Parts: sequence; structure tokens; C-alpha cells
Amino acid sequence: MTDIGVALEMEKVSKRYPGTLAVDSVDFTAYAGEVHALIGENGAGKSTLMKIIAGSFDDYTGRTLVNTAPVRLHSPAIARANGIQMIHQELSLAPPLSIAENVLAGRLPSRFGFLNRSALIAEAERCLQRVGLELDPLTPVEEISQHEAQLVEIARAVGNNPCILVMDEPTSALSRAEVERLFTIIRKLRQQGLAIIYISHHLPEIIELADRVTIMRDGKKVATKTISEITSAQLVELMVGRSLSDLYGKRRESPGEVKLRVEHFSRYGFFHDVSFNVRAGEILGICGLAGAGRSELARSLCGIDPADYGDIWLDGEVATPEDYTDAIHAGFAYLTEDRKAQGLALRLTVAENALAAVVPRHCVAGVYMPEPGEALLARLVERLQVYPPDPARTTGSLSGGNQQKVLLAKWLATEPEVLILDEPTRGVDIGAKVVIHQAIAEVVDRGRSVVLISSDLPELVGLSDRILIMRKGHIIGQMDKARATESAVLLAANGEGELQPV
Amino acid sequence: MSEPAASREDARAQKTSRLHGTLNVLGVYALVIALFMLGCLMPGEFLTRDNLLNILRDIMLLGIVCVGVAFITYSQHYVDLSIPGIMALSGIIAVSMLPYGFVIALLSGIAAGMAIGAVNGVVIGYLRLNPIIWTLAMMSVLSGVIRKAYGGKQVYPDAATDAGNAFLNLYHSEVFGVIPLPFAILAVLALAADFLMRKTAFGAQLKLTGSSYEAARMTGVNVRRVVAAAFVISAAASALAGILLTSFNKVGAQYIGKDYDFQAITAVVIGGTTLAGGRGSIFGVMGGVMVIALMNKVMSLVRIGDFVIGDFQKNIVLGAVFILVVGINSFSRRKSGLDDA
Repeated sequence: MTDIGVALEMEKVSKRYPGTLAVDSVDFTAYAGEVHALIGENGAGKSTLMKIIAGSFDDYTGRTLVNTAPVRLHSPAIARANGIQMIHQELSLAPPLSIAENVLAGRLPSRFGFLNRSALIAEAERCLQRVGLELDPLTPVEEISQHEAQLVEIARAVGNNPCILVMDEPTSALSRAEVERLFTIIRKLRQQGLAIIYISHHLPEIIELADRVTIMRDGKKVATKTISEITSAQLVELMVGRSLSDLYGKRRESPGEVKLRVEHFSRYGFFHDVSFNVRAGEILGICGLAGAGRSELARSLCGIDPADYGDIWLDGEVATPEDYTDAIHAGFAYLTEDRKAQGLALRLTVAENALAAVVPRHCVAGVYMPEPGEALLARLVERLQVYPPDPARTTGSLSGGNQQKVLLAKWLATEPEVLILDEPTRGVDIGAKVVIHQAIAEVVDRGRSVVLISSDLPELVGLSDRILIMRKGHIIGQMDKARATESAVLLAANGEGELQPV
Repeated sequence: MSEPAASREDARAQKTSRLHGTLNVLGVYALVIALFMLGCLMPGEFLTRDNLLNILRDIMLLGIVCVGVAFITYSQHYVDLSIPGIMALSGIIAVSMLPYGFVIALLSGIAAGMAIGAVNGVVIGYLRLNPIIWTLAMMSVLSGVIRKAYGGKQVYPDAATDAGNAFLNLYHSEVFGVIPLPFAILAVLALAADFLMRKTAFGAQLKLTGSSYEAARMTGVNVRRVVAAAFVISAAASALAGILLTSFNKVGAQYIGKDYDFQAITAVVIGGTTLAGGRGSIFGVMGGVMVIALMNKVMSLVRIGDFVIGDFQKNIVLGAVFILVVGINSFSRRKSGLDDA
């Protein structure tokens, strides 16, 4: 396969964001006619590398060669002109337009300045055929299913006759049968001589599909391996690349009395008849696949979204919140999974963000008193090791890990009784992860309760005292610390394996 | 790029961004001084008592409107385009209510304006309609309502009554015998607004809402109420300015307050309150108001042969300045990576 030729070569490629080196002199080669998988933990730099290939940055350093010719991939147009096509995780189709118009977007066939309808349909059909999709090209995209839309997206990319196809988690929304179909198509494209760069978290898929795999960690390339000479376990080791003993914080106390009690809690269409307890000093994990209703449950517990039915007791008193302000006052805090859009105001300072939730408390008759906030902030910045330790800095200039610390600081500042964490270490480096885990351990050691939602299985299993398994809006059971292993929890979330009743 | 060099660059970028804010405000006042000096150099009557009083009058009324608009712009909801309607309505209502007493007339005028502001606030804050489109529609409705209710007639305060007399003298009255009343009102409002923005819980929440609406919501800020409050505050200020302008014109009419919407947003933006929200200060806004007022006056003094700068040309200049300021602002902020867009 390697004798066909080099489709893409990158030499010592680096890209800096303010405060972090996201990609650190990476060498990467993709051959024509291979599926090259790119893996790494969140924040390892794989999506940044992919964006460089797609021409999203005009300030990366290093050399890039497409089909052995040096090219500066400084704009998406340059990348496309060099035969690079990208299929994003989020679909980028225009729903009201027809399949044909989407597939041929940007190159609609015209005659005398008018749209050539028959050519449009013919060309679209040709593209759809290449991905094995038999649909009327005039169907609006909003009327087709998610996996058909995914194939339409691929048809559009393929229709531009690329030599390099980059796919970012293309299977995340697909069922097993649909994945099989997609793989058949990818294999066919590989045969036609395309270089396919395939980004995924899903190791079995990579073992099944890829020819070679490049592993990234902390912005650097760790290794490139041929799939036949590596196992899943070895891949994980290369991805994580360190002993995990420092993680998951040191705990001193064990859980005490019941603090939070939730009964028959429902929001129709999202979660149904959810009942559980959390004890003081306990970390309760919630595990579930995407769409299981974990974040929705958390948001309703805090009154951010309305619940339809059910009650919440905090320390034996009814605490079903009216709205979020009310819930925060009662002692709830919800750390959002979407740090950039919902968590932080990136252009405000560290101080403004970290103290945002305690502003009403530090006011006398509506007038803000700065002193208690300053002392509190100094303590938080030191405890969470926010770097640089400058409260007047713009939050957006901090690295992802430090931004996440500021977001956590915002909620630690309110001294919550129940701290709900939604993906507390998404996209942060390992150093920040250790600090955040230790801070979580300290919260429960002071007799507070933590509800932890995380797709990071080692983190979920390592931190939680007990894990609730959520599936399709229902809590289907729980696992205590002794029985919860990564594979057991994952099986359970998929509806298999044994569970204890809640 | 090596690590230390990169972190030095970060530190430099950080300093530049802090300077940016300070320079913005200083820049406005530099412009004020430059325009003033330009005015002095112009042949004609710039440095006369009447002219300076005229400039002061422009500053007073536009300033009062801008103090309010600043809250809307700060909350990232751009501007209230129904300002001219609110000004006209509150002036007319005040005049119509004069038979029931001077104080009642003033209060009804302001209450009418605030009621419109409350409607704007509820629709934009709670129902999340686009502020530009909604207030544009509100403006259209207001001018229609005023024309219909008053049959296109203007309303005159009755100078024969005490209340009517007091109303006609309102604009020209003075505090402590020297300070024009509108100027005193502006000073008090500006100080109060500055305090509200920088020293209170409401101000902090407004800043967070303007900087990132979603983040504010997810911090437990009642964002709907904050946005609604910004529109009510703005409407109250516009109503006050409308009443003063009606008193000055000695007549309540549908056209009173014309052009104040665009002049206000231009002044606010020149003063460093960016349309992206969450940035700026009342001090800067006052600088912007002075720039607009001085610019108008300096332009009126231009006489080259037969050529004078009329209202149309002034509008062209004002529009061009607005485009220039907004353009430079968004460009430089995006360039320096200050905005996440």
C-alpha cells in the first residue's frame, strides 16, 4: 500500500494558542490508499492538527507538502484547491436545500448564468452512487435521516475529487449497522486511492478499519504504528502514557448521612421517574451514553430547565428549585460542560468570572463590596494553582486547563452543598486534571456532596464512590466502587451486564 | 517559537489589551479637545456665548439620552430605535396632563416613556425578539399612535396657567441660579449611572450579561430581568430628555426627538462602548456625546464660498463616522484576539 505515494506530509508542524502549544512540532505522513487513524485524549491536539490540514490557521509553523509539493495551507480555499476535503463531526449541510444542492454547493452547474437542473441532478446522482446512497437528489436534507445526511456529507466531499479526506468522529451518531455501511464505503474510497485521515475515540473501530495509527498526547506525536502490530491495550497505554496513581485525589473522610434526595423526578422527553440519594461526603457518578439524559437531569436538578414532576430534598427539607438563582441560593451549583459558550465570559477577567456567582452575596443594599471577594479570589487562585496567578488577566488568554480551573473556582466560591460537575476535565491537560480532582476530593471531605457526570471513564470510575447508570432517560441501576470497572460501566451504559438496584 | 519567548508575547498581548481600554477613553477626549480647537480656528462665531450655550444644550439632551442607551449597548442589545417615539410621546403626554398639575404632568410623561420601555424590555428580554427589529416596529407604532391620537396636531402648553408656565420655563430654569437645569440633571444621571454600572450587583450582572449572555444565564443571573431593566432605564432617560426638549420647543409634537436614536448610538460607540457588549464606561460615553455635539457645530461653521454643510451632509458625515468607528473597533479587536468571534 505504501508504494502508491505520499499524499500528505507534515514536518515539524506547530500551532500556538494564547497560553498553550496545541501542536508541538509534529511529523505526520499519510499515504494514498490508506486509512490513517489519529487518536489521542481530549486536548491531545488532534483536532488542532486536523484544522491545520483543513486550512483553518494562517499562523502554523513547519512544512506541509501535498502530493510531495510544498504548500502553505493558510486558508480553507487553499486546502480545498489542493484536494483536501473535510467531514466534520457536526454536519454542515443546509437543511432546507435539496440533497443535490448540498452535494454540489459551491459548484452548481449553470448554463448562460441559469441553474442547469438536469446537469445538477445527474452530477448529484453520480456523487451519491459513489457512497451507495439511493435517494432522490431533490429531497430536502431536512427530510432524510441522520446517517443518510452523514453519507450526503461524504458524497459532497467525494464529489470534489479529493486526494485527502479527513473525517472527524464520523460514527458518533450512527448505529452499528450504519457504521458497517460507512466502513464499506470508506474501504471502497481507500481502494480508489484516497488518503483517509480518520479521527476517532473508538478504539475497536480503529483496529477494524485503519491501516496505520498515529497517537498524540499533550500536543506531541507519540508514535505512528501499523495496526497489525498493535493491540487496543497498547494503544491506550500510548494515549495515556503515564501512571494514573496521582489522579482522582486523596480522600480522608468516608460518606455520611443522606444529603440530597431525589424522588420520581421527570422531565418528559428527557428523563423519567428518576430517584436517588447522595450522601454527605459522597461522589456520585452518573454514567450514560450521549443522549441518555445526564446533562438534562443535572440542569433540571438546578432549576435551569423546568422539571415536570418529582421532588428534591436537601438535608431533609424540600428544595425543588423555582429557577437557577433560587437553586444557587439553596446550595446547588452546576458546572457546565460547555466552558467556552456557557461557562465563562472569555473577554472578562479571571476575577470577574471567578466571582460572578457570589456578586449578590457580596452586596449590601445592592452595592458591591470588593473586600471579601478579593480575599476569596486569592485563596481560590492559590488552591487551584491558576496560572498565571493574575486576577486581572483576560480569561480567554488562559490555557484550556486554567480556564477550567477558573470555572471551577466560580462554583467553589459559592460553597455549594451539592456540586454538580458536568465533564469537569474536558479538554484540559493532565496537570490541571490532577488539581481539579484534588479540589473535588476536598469538597466532599468537607461534608458536601458531588454529582459527577463524565464521559472520561477512568475519571468517572476513579473518582466516584458509586455510579448510577442512565440509559434513554431512565436510571437502570447502580454500581458501587468495588464493582465499577471501566468495562463493566461501559457495558452497563450500553444496556448489558449486571447491575444493582438503586 | 520557544516557550519563554511565547509567554513573553502573551504578557505583551495582555498589556496591549489593557492599554486598549484606557486609550479608547483618552482618545475620545483627545478628539473632543481637537474638535474644540478646530472650532476656535474656524472663522465665525465659535467662541461666542450663544454658540457655546448651543453646544451645551446639544450635549445636555443627547447626553441624557445616551446615559440610558449606554445600558442597552452595554448589555449587547445595541440600541433602542424607538427613542424618538418615546421622546415625542412623553413630551406630548406631559403637555396634555398639565391641567392636572405640573408634577403630575412630569410624572405621567416619564411613566409613559417607562411603560414603552417596559414593553420593549419584556418583549426583548423575556421573549428574546431581536432588539433592532422590535424597537423599529415600536417606533413605527408610536409615531402612528401619536398621529392618530392627536390628529396630526401639535399640543401647546397653556402659558396662562401656573403649570403651563412652569413647564415652559422648565428647560430654562437654573439650579443655584447658575447651572442650567438640564445640565444638572445630566450630571446627576451620569454619576448615578456610573455608580450603578461599576459599583452595584446590577452593574456586575449587566457586564456579565453583555459579555456572554449564556455564561451569565448559567451563573444564575436573571438575564431576562437584567435586559428588560436596561430598556426601562433607557426609556426613562429618553422620556426625561423628551420632556425637556418639549419644554424648550414650547410644543409637543410627533417629530420631537427625530435623529436622536442614531446620534445616541453613534455617541455611545465613539465613547468606547462597543456593540459587542460588556465594554465601556459612562465617562467614555460623555466624551462621545461631546464629540457629536462639537462635530455638528464645527460643521455648521464651514463656509467655503457658497458651500455650507447642511443637515443632509451632516447625516452623511455622522453615518460615515459611525461606520468608521464600528469598523475599526471590530477589526482591531479581532486582530488582537480580544474577541472570541
